[in-house]
Amino acid sequence: MSDQLLLNIAQVVISGLLLGGVYALFATGLNLIVGVMRVINLAHGELMMLGAYTTFWLSTLTGLNPLVAIIPTVLILFLGGTLLERFLLERTIRQPMLSALLLTFGLSTLFMGVALNLWTADFRSIVYLSGSVQIGALVVSQVRLIGSAIALTLTAASFWFLRSTRFGKSIRATAQHADVAEACGIDVAFVRRVTFGLGSAQAAAAGSLAALMFSFSPEMGQIYIAKAFAIIVLGGLGSFVGAFLGALALGLAETLAAYFTTAQLADGVPYVVLVLVLLLRPSGLFGAPE
Amino acid sequence: MTRVSAGKVYALVLILAIGWLIWFPSVAPAYGISLGLTVLLVIVLAASWNLISGYTGYVSFGHAGFFGVGSYTGALLIVHDTLPWWTAMMVAGLVSSLIAALIGYPTLRLRGPYFAITMFALSELARIVTTNWTSLTGGGQGVYLPILQDDTPNFLAMGILAVAAVVVSYCIGTSAIGLRLLAIREDEQAASALGIRTTAYKHAAFVVSSFFPGVAGAIYARQIGYIEPSSVFATVWSIRAIAATMLGGHGTFLGPIAGAIALTLVSEAVWAENPFLYQVVFGGLIVLVLLVMPGGIMRLLEDRGWTRPSRRL
Repeated sequence: MSDQLLLNIAQVVISGLLLGGVYALFATGLNLIVGVMRVINLAHGELMMLGAYTTFWLSTLTGLNPLVAIIPTVLILFLGGTLLERFLLERTIRQPMLSALLLTFGLSTLFMGVALNLWTADFRSIVYLSGSVQIGALVVSQVRLIGSAIALTLTAASFWFLRSTRFGKSIRATAQHADVAEACGIDVAFVRRVTFGLGSAQAAAAGSLAALMFSFSPEMGQIYIAKAFAIIVLGGLGSFVGAFLGALALGLAETLAAYFTTAQLADGVPYVVLVLVLLLRPSGLFGAPE
Repeated sequence: MTRVSAGKVYALVLILAIGWLIWFPSVAPAYGISLGLTVLLVIVLAASWNLISGYTGYVSFGHAGFFGVGSYTGALLIVHDTLPWWTAMMVAGLVSSLIAALIGYPTLRLRGPYFAITMFALSELARIVTTNWTSLTGGGQGVYLPILQDDTPNFLAMGILAVAAVVVSYCIGTSAIGLRLLAIREDEQAASALGIRTTAYKHAAFVVSSFFPGVAGAIYARQIGYIEPSSVFATVWSIRAIAATMLGGHGTFLGPIAGAIALTLVSEAVWAENPFLYQVVFGGLIVLVLLVMPGGIMRLLEDRGWTRPSRRL
């Protein structure tokens, strides 16, 4: 292999891992919701899209630094998530899984429709830190480096919260067995509400960061939700570490596919991963087999 | 007063419906025919989606994939002038069923949400393959079909298909097969323990269910005159099928019809005002129906005592 090819591949690998950082933040949020609530949240992509637009409007209308605007965005979507759980999803708890699935599907369609009406289907972008950083012979976009670093920090914070705090323990207990957790004095309804809020907040943060790196439109959620499913299925449903590694792997696979084939074909990578894993090893790489 | 049996009422309604199908094109304006065609199309999509998802509980987000496959098969056969158009429509349905038969083997092992998501992924994959397989499909350029002077044959074809979809779902729904499909939905393990060959039944329902969107896609392509991957593989076809079935009452055989008529007329009215609003209406309807009237229109009528209580599907 020539040096130039090697350098190009190194470049591709780095941008793949940076992409994977944002995927990780988004997918671990979905994984949390799926693990605790046993609800496949089809509206997760739209929560991300709403996060992207909230940051966009906050920074455009008030002139706030986009990185600072992420903080109110996350708080707004955390609150929005808890309200969604309280008033809509809670009603489907004792019903067949179909109800919750279709409910989040309806919400997804509804949110996307509202966004299309309010903000049109045009692609937008947040122009911020357009320079790049030189690391040795490699050139890395500044905003992607910072965005990915923030995403990884937030993912780590979420992991720490679940591992080491008392409330995190309640969440994990609820994920393991909701009825037993309830019997042990955990307020399961409250745990579910906060969990959905946390998942939404992670989606919002990931959406804001994605909006800094790429152009976006009301339909972005559809693309990201497919990626997130591929990731959590690859990692094994409910496994945080699995979802994290799955995210990096998918980011890498996508950028490599785009480099060696075409960008159009690379769009198919998440679907191929999803279908292959579900058919060959439905429990994922880190999940316990049924 | 003696109660008329439900079967006789249905037979009468069926005869009236067929009569309407024959009479309507001769009096309706062009707009009426195209609106009627859309209503029939949504009935086909909803009734066939109901066969797999309403009866067995395997929610599929892949109906758009079968619709797209049928559209392309039909369109390419017509453009290359290989077969009479109505034979091409049937071939489109058979190709769609064949694909369902093949992908059913691996995918129907998956339960609940896994199946839903896999079907969505496969449908998207079909779109990507169609876009990139330029030599066969013309890629993102799409396919242009001959312009037709008269929409009536398309209307009749869609009408026959709608009647077939409804009759098939009635026959399956009221038969022992239907009961077994429902047993799968209620508790697959228990059904299996009772000796029902669940995989074979699911598979059969899946293959039959996917025939209809395939033919419907081909008729749609012939009617609309131009197709491209992003229009015929659009998720909105799955959404329409799901929203209509939910609104009408899933798992009942009349529900999808009632839902399709109500949904299409409402969305047509909304569409005339603002083409972007349909998604808000569809999404909002699904959410509302789930929260306020989970059984849809049919359950509502039943609770009021306006229709005979049916087996709770």
